[in-house]
Amino acid sequence: MRRTPIVITATLAGLVGVLAFHTTPAKLTLATAPAASGSAQPSAAASPGRSQRGQSSGGASSPPRSSPAATAKPGATRTVVGPAVNYNFGVLSVSVTVSGNKITKVGIASLDDGGNQRSQFIDQQSIPILEQETMQAQSGNIQGVSGASYTSAGFQQSLQAALHTLGFQ
Amino acid sequence: MPPELPVRPIHHLENVMGTVVTIDVYTTDATAGAEVSRQLATARAVLQRADAVFSTWKPHSPISRLRRGDITCAQAPAEVSEVLEQCAVARELSGGWFDPWAMPGGIDPTGYVKGWAAQRALGAFRASGVCGVIVNAAGDIASFGGLGGGQPFRIGIADPFSPRRLAEVVYLTGAIATSGTYERGNHLIDPHSGRPTARVASASVTGPDLGLADALATAIAVAGEAGLDVIEALDGYEALIITIDGSRRWTQHFPLAPREASG
Repeated sequence: MRRTPIVITATLAGLVGVLAFHTTPAKLTLATAPAASGSAQPSAAASPGRSQRGQSSGGASSPPRSSPAATAKPGATRTVVGPAVNYNFGVLSVSVTVSGNKITKVGIASLDDGGNQRSQFIDQQSIPILEQETMQAQSGNIQGVSGASYTSAGFQQSLQAALHTLGFQ
Repeated sequence: MPPELPVRPIHHLENVMGTVVTIDVYTTDATAGAEVSRQLATARAVLQRADAVFSTWKPHSPISRLRRGDITCAQAPAEVSEVLEQCAVARELSGGWFDPWAMPGGIDPTGYVKGWAAQRALGAFRASGVCGVIVNAAGDIASFGGLGGGQPFRIGIADPFSPRRLAEVVYLTGAIATSGTYERGNHLIDPHSGRPTARVASASVTGPDLGLADALATAIAVAGEAGLDVIEALDGYEALIITIDGSRRWTQHFPLAPREASG
């Protein structure tokens, strides 16, 4: 799946915004993120703990898929941030990016959990659709991610409003 | 060099069941668009209908009324009996580790419904002009076909210790569901004790039907490694668990893919 560099950059910028809220950045590294280069590499490559299978994850033998920078139309990509709404552990807002009339990204624009340890743990461990979309953007050769679901009603509420602003639904 | 995808999939996000369901339709035929749009509309209606009937958050949904005793099963929409029958089958197949009747607060088929609804939504799509479809209900995935040209879908399994990373990648045939405690805190209930529990960090189950895969993933997340024997005995279903210490255990034919794209 190809993503335009503009969209990837916007997502990663959003992700950094989320990361900035947390006080334990050591757990939140983005070692496999392709920065803003627009290249795509499998994010699985750097994951530890695979000793059970006795199989090396190899080097970067898979060449990055080059992104078609020339096809990115600056005017065609729009990002809207939904209203800040209460959720189980604080306040969050959702951002939605559309390219033309297609939704290309959904993510967390802001998140304030009040510094509660329990909620920070949950926030960190249950990073939502944003994560899945980001992983897919990084891994041109996977078509989905299983697990790490996020089911906050607040997420839904803010998303709905953002979609409405963009003229969807 | 990874082979090029045939075309960019038709991508849809549906805001339903308290989460976001993504639908990706991989077409081989550029003229399939109108037909796909009709099928997509049907799939969306299936998801919204499932939400309306089975949401335990909506006080007037049939499942909420059933839980309160306002209506009987016979008075509820037909899907309710269908789902409860299939939950009973899942309870049987899981050796009792999946049990919607043992939930605090009364019968709660939520652990089955999301996968069941996504599987039903997938049924709205037909193969003509389409080489594969993925319905991803917040990490529980129903699919048919693949990328075209005989290439299967590749699906990552989120690392329970670092959800930004993938723990493994699988070749998907049919469905995959992953359950674990990282999702929403410790929400899994041991039907034998009635208490929240989890003996693994995450559990993934693949198989032909997402409703059952979802129920089985919940079951072995609760049962722990002993649950692998339950899955090993089931035709067509495979499982992988990531233990609390980060090691992997899986059934004999779990469809693990190489990390890097081959070729």
